[in-house]
Amino acid sequence: MNIDFEPQTEDDAAAIVRAAAQRSARLRIQGGGTRGICAAIEADAVLSTRKLSGIVSYNPAEMTMSALAGTPASEIEVKLAEHRQMLAFEPMDPRGLSGATGEPTIGGVFATNSSGPRRLSAGAARDHLLGLRFVNGEGIVIKSGGRVMKNVTGLDLVKLLAGAHGTLGLMTEVTFKVLPLPPASATIVLSSLNDAEAAGAMARVMSMPSEVSSAAHLPESVRGRFISGRLPDGPATIFRLEGLPATVSARAEKLTSACAVAGPVTVLEDQDSRALWREVRDVKPYADGTERALWCVSVAPTVGHQLVAALRLETGVDAFYDWQGGRVWLRMEADPEADLVRRFIKALGGGHARLMRASSAVRAVTPAFEPETPAVSVLSARLREKFDPKGIFNPGLMG
Amino acid sequence: MQTSFAPAQLADPQIATSEQILRKCVHCGFCTATCPTYVTLGNELDSPRGRIYLIKDMLENDRPADEEVVTHIDRCLSCLSCMTTCPSGVNYMHLVDHARVHIEKTYERPLGDRLVRAVLAAVLPYPGRFRLALKAAGLGRPFAGLLKRIGPLKPFGTMLDLAPSKVAPASIADTPGTHRVDGLKRGRVAILSGCAQPVLRPEINEATLRLLARLGVEVVVPENAGCCGALVHHMGREEQALEAARRMVDAWLKVKVDGGLDAVIITASGCGTTIKDYGHMLRLDPDYAEKAAEVSALARDITEYLSGLELPVLEKRALTVAYHSACSMQHGQKITMAPKVLLSNAGFTVRDPGEGHLCCGSAGTYNILQPEISTTLKARKIRNIEATKADIIATGNIGCITQIATGTAMPILHTVELLDWAYGGPKPALLETRD
Amino acid sequence: MLDRRETIVADLADLLPPGCLVSDVRGLVPFETDAFIAYRRVPLAVALPETTAQVAAVLKYCSRYGIPVVPRGAGTSLSGGAIPQEDAVVIGLSKMTRILDIDFPNRTATVEAGVTNISISEAVMPEGFFYAPDPSSQLACTIGGNIGMNSGGAHCLKYGVTTNNLLGVKMVLFDGTIIELGGKALDAAGYDLLGLVCGSEGQLGIVTEATVRLLARPEGARPVLFGFSSSEEAGACVAEVIGSGIIPVAIEFMDKPAIGICEAFAKAGYPMDVEALLIVEVEGSEAEMDATLASIIDIARRHGVTTIRESQSATEAALIWKGRKSAFGATGRIADYICMDGTVPLSKLSEVLRKTGEIAARYGLRVANVFHAGDGNMHPLILYNINDPEDAARAEAAGNDILKLCVDAGGCLTGEHGVGIEKRDLMLHQFTQADLNQQMAARAAFDPQWIMNPSKVFPLEGRPTA
Repeated sequence: MNIDFEPQTEDDAAAIVRAAAQRSARLRIQGGGTRGICAAIEADAVLSTRKLSGIVSYNPAEMTMSALAGTPASEIEVKLAEHRQMLAFEPMDPRGLSGATGEPTIGGVFATNSSGPRRLSAGAARDHLLGLRFVNGEGIVIKSGGRVMKNVTGLDLVKLLAGAHGTLGLMTEVTFKVLPLPPASATIVLSSLNDAEAAGAMARVMSMPSEVSSAAHLPESVRGRFISGRLPDGPATIFRLEGLPATVSARAEKLTSACAVAGPVTVLEDQDSRALWREVRDVKPYADGTERALWCVSVAPTVGHQLVAALRLETGVDAFYDWQGGRVWLRMEADPEADLVRRFIKALGGGHARLMRASSAVRAVTPAFEPETPAVSVLSARLREKFDPKGIFNPGLMG
Repeated sequence: MQTSFAPAQLADPQIATSEQILRKCVHCGFCTATCPTYVTLGNELDSPRGRIYLIKDMLENDRPADEEVVTHIDRCLSCLSCMTTCPSGVNYMHLVDHARVHIEKTYERPLGDRLVRAVLAAVLPYPGRFRLALKAAGLGRPFAGLLKRIGPLKPFGTMLDLAPSKVAPASIADTPGTHRVDGLKRGRVAILSGCAQPVLRPEINEATLRLLARLGVEVVVPENAGCCGALVHHMGREEQALEAARRMVDAWLKVKVDGGLDAVIITASGCGTTIKDYGHMLRLDPDYAEKAAEVSALARDITEYLSGLELPVLEKRALTVAYHSACSMQHGQKITMAPKVLLSNAGFTVRDPGEGHLCCGSAGTYNILQPEISTTLKARKIRNIEATKADIIATGNIGCITQIATGTAMPILHTVELLDWAYGGPKPALLETRD
Repeated sequence: MLDRRETIVADLADLLPPGCLVSDVRGLVPFETDAFIAYRRVPLAVALPETTAQVAAVLKYCSRYGIPVVPRGAGTSLSGGAIPQEDAVVIGLSKMTRILDIDFPNRTATVEAGVTNISISEAVMPEGFFYAPDPSSQLACTIGGNIGMNSGGAHCLKYGVTTNNLLGVKMVLFDGTIIELGGKALDAAGYDLLGLVCGSEGQLGIVTEATVRLLARPEGARPVLFGFSSSEEAGACVAEVIGSGIIPVAIEFMDKPAIGICEAFAKAGYPMDVEALLIVEVEGSEAEMDATLASIIDIARRHGVTTIRESQSATEAALIWKGRKSAFGATGRIADYICMDGTVPLSKLSEVLRKTGEIAARYGLRVANVFHAGDGNMHPLILYNINDPEDAARAEAAGNDILKLCVDAGGCLTGEHGVGIEKRDLMLHQFTQADLNQQMAARAAFDPQWIMNPSKVFPLEGRPTA
């Protein structure tokens, strides 16, 4: 996609937005353009933040970092790793799914509230975003939040902007919390459970004091596609333990014996454990170069498998589960079946499905985001109007 | 918190005391959480913090009590749970006592209310009258339902419900005299024979006399004793309460003069809280201030006193006891562990019911004057007690015993009855039918 | 508004069950303030609804007649969040105290807004769970109030504050519309309205039900006391512990005056011969606690720790926390106080502590410090005599200076207590007018009439004119 604007400073960005607002020119806002956003955005021009790049400040002892929005996520992760720190919410690398080639940006991470398997225990991207600067739809620079861990001063616009996909403002700088990189990681693999049994087992394990940081279930249909087929035979219900080496092995021992009653248990040590969760994070089995419709579903953990079972009676689906079963990566064999998926989610107590990948024909007719209830959608529309009165940011995407 | 009393107002020692109490409150609101009426009614005005504010407003403006204030002060159980919770050390007890006196002096209650209170004040503190009244209650019981339908007479209906079906005759424990010990004398104490308790449960003081005798403690039942004044004190009847206090101070100090006094033993924690406060109540009476303080210092709950006697640890027996800590015990006198340790050492397995800080709704005459709230609290208390799946209930206050007994099939006894049994006394009659 | 008082009261009485409306002039006085006693206003009436539908009916009525509404939980706000105004109806949630659903497999609890914070943990404790945010007033404060202020607490260092543990709410908007946000599924379908509502100080609507995340209780937890001979050493120790990559569950700081105050109430066995005390809590298995503690002790030794005392029993641990959590109330034993709540970057902790002392000294006031050191959330308690107007003015001025100091050090005005009335007029020290305009615009999307807790958070000057 051609990029029309690449502001190099916040002032540039504000000036571009002001000019666009004056002309009511609609802007497609993107970072590295790697996320394959599945919505029909009707824009007159594309604005990328990728030249707004660079780490502004990093204080490892305070566990905070500020960076311009277009800073590549990889640059940040490398820098953090030098100080044995990390983004605990584990944002995915979206390029596997989207097939895009650019660099995912830190702004994109927060604008999409992108969180991986550790979201279950460490919180989402939005939970780690402490402060930000953004340009609103009138070209005014706004600051919200700050750089300290606890801050309730004023309305929390930070949370609102996180996950707003650039529709409420153009992020120019983000300040976020980082955490120590766990020195050791191990994964308990419980083989042989079907989806329903796995949901039960995950709930039980999460109620134990073992500080499991991630829990996922990889049914037989996907198991072989992880870590080059090195997972043991049978569906894999996996639990990640992280921390100091001694405590990880002690917890692993306890968890192994607790799980042994349910089926065969294997323990993946450090390297394999880290590789496996990276692949879960990046949805490896479905990063297959196709355009087959892929949903990212969030429901209550115990009903994820019921959703899949119900869909299987109606259509062709393949799925695996993260977040204790509450995040379902749902790949449709043919039709995206948006109505069906959303109807079943509602029937199972609610949640939401986001279209993560689809052919352009499907994108054109399928809302990427879960439709909101009428009262809530009125609020969203009003908010959008308050931040972007002319509706120039990513029109058609949200709100 | 901020107060605004004129210097002239502060010249009144009662006001001065209350002002100092109010100054300590920082309005943090912790007390609301453990207040039984706030938890039940969910209205700030029925919480300690709300009442403190109502009282402050009334006293600061030197205003007679009005219906709104009286309604919410009357709903206070004086359980003093708030005083356990309060981090600031606000003496709510003395503040609400002051407010009750102010109400009694400045507010005319509706006729029915006056009648009920007058009857309670004229009967309960006097064992003879109370025994007669209970006998009459036996005859009146069929009319309880009817009375409860007639608004102002409702409390009389409640009284009939609470009255036991059997009334015990006067007991040896009420008769003035000295219960000497054979062998080595370890101490000499006076006992509060009390008013309502010896009528409702003479077994309690009888067990106390037996146990103390076996332990080598001489017990004096003083002459000219009677009610300690707590009942009328909580109704704001200051003069009547102080008169009772002076009478008791005289009675006990006479025992001291006669042959020494190690402690004044109290077997009803509701009374104990008041007796331990005699020093404060009579602080402005030049003739009695010092003597009252001496009596307060000598006052001991029976379990406090027994804790000092180092009773032997007995083998476990197959009986589980839910220990209900009376508010006057845990909040009023801050006695929390002693009764449980004694019971446990005596071989019983002791369990703590949940929400142990919440009042059972008895609270002196509260169950008669505020039957709705009292009934709700009783049900909640019994739910918590029964959830322990214990065999029996032990507690240290006659009010709680009467209240709880009307709502559960579990036998409820005074701690000292169980201790007397464990250390060689007869098995309590209530347990005779059980293994 | 006040002339219409009789009519309003009569109309509200029709909307509520008996016993759910306070309109008596005497009865209204106790609602004039919360735990921020420096400011008081008697409200027009107090509604104590029992259901969401009743909350909606009252709001619908108030919105129709433009009557301001002030939500109130337990009234424990330290910033005046629940302080009314003369023309406002207070909507108190204290009768909505039911626990509606506890779902252990999904680790969620759904409760009415008037349920106290600690009741949630108590309800799930037998099954081995707890609700993590633990404001010191957790005994009394309600979950609705916690959401209003995005409350924190000592254990937030590891587990996050309310917004990180809140999954969904049912709430009533200014016009009586009932909406639901979030639920047992993680993250928002669209805009993170839940994130915006949390900490909005009752300005976006009234939360009537909340779904929160439950966590499995750790195998064990052990608070350890570290005494130092200066506040600077203790502050530096905190910074190094965190900087070394160890994140204990809690690191709490008390200076000498605070230690004395807390010990007087709780008798927790705090060392009385030190200038500063850290309560560091570690958790996990015995081996894990030992390992973590060993590293912390090493660091503490490098910073001249003089006393180290581990709690030896659950009772002792409970007392250590009881003392800490009662600190503000216990201060009432010696003086009136106002409690500051600024957060600063950890590297500035020692410096800000020193300057705080200097500011207090300049005004001739005493100060006690007791706060969440691990996340830099300071609580200087400025001690004064509220009955002395000059002293009160000095305390307020000192407070303002201290908060500005926090902002200038790269921190913020309030870490967990909220802006309320107390810090409203300092907002422009932290934000530009444009920043505030954007916040007020977001607010207006929810409450275009500006009737919800209207006097709070935003300076009265510079508000949009309706």
